Amino acid sequence: MATTTATISLSSPDLLTDSLAFSTASTLTKAGNATGLTLTGGLARKKLASGHAQYTLFDGDAYANGAHKIYLKNTSTTAAEYFTIEINSEQMGKLYAGDWAFFPWEANADTNDIKIDPSADDMVLEYMIFIDE
Amino acid sequence: MATTTNTLLLESTDLFDDSLSISNTSTCYKAGTTIGLDQTTGLTRTYVTATTQFDPFPVVKGTTNANENGKVYIANLSEDETEFITVGIGDLVIGKLYAGDFMWMPWSPKAQHVNDIEITPSVATGMNIEFMSIHNFANIYPNSADS
Repeated sequence: MATTTATISLSSPDLLTDSLAFSTASTLTKAGNATGLTLTGGLARKKLASGHAQYTLFDGDAYANGAHKIYLKNTSTTAAEYFTIEINSEQMGKLYAGDWAFFPWEANADTNDIKIDPSADDMVLEYMIFIDE
Repeated sequence: MATTTNTLLLESTDLFDDSLSISNTSTCYKAGTTIGLDQTTGLTRTYVTATTQFDPFPVVKGTTNANENGKVYIANLSEDETEFITVGIGDLVIGKLYAGDFMWMPWSPKAQHVNDIEITPSVATGMNIEFMSIHNFANIYPNSADS
């Protein structure tokens, strides 16, 4: 068993009248128990060189139904460049330059793919999956 | 313009032979700009006592602001490792947040009932859930009726 922790910290001095600051930490565990996730696809980078067509990053058919965790980061430094993130054929949102996302993924169906669609050529996405097997 | 920063730390000393440490900080900007997002639903903590699906951020889209963009934070505050919330978008499942888990994702709502965020608790015995959206959408209402 491995112990992997994820911590998010959110802060703003001026989004509200008073300052905002909070932090949440969690340990990545298998579904319904306290056993740590032990498998990962590793930290990887994908460059979509041309055509910027939609690309299947994680195929729902390739993973068992479980408490997987997904990390994504748009490494672009050009503010206008984004990756459209689609899950199960539904648009989740757009990951702009420097943005990251971290969310659970159940892979509950063969169609529950995670797809990315870059807005420009030669964009690089950094990604990692923590696998519940 | 507001400056809201979000940081993720992913750390492990034993997932690999070597230690893992990933740290990322980004700022919440309007789409395609370096202008900070200036609206929020506020950090909400709610105690749910039913397994009924609900929308934490009801969308009533009409007009559209320029450079719309949004971020969503959701956390399951339960301490019972078997309890989870199923998080979906547009009636399709993203995944399950088990006790103590959180998520942070971009969100681009299109229209009412189209790609709303949905939360479904696994138990009716009571769970605390936290959620927040930071955005610049024209119409995200905290208390509107939804289906």
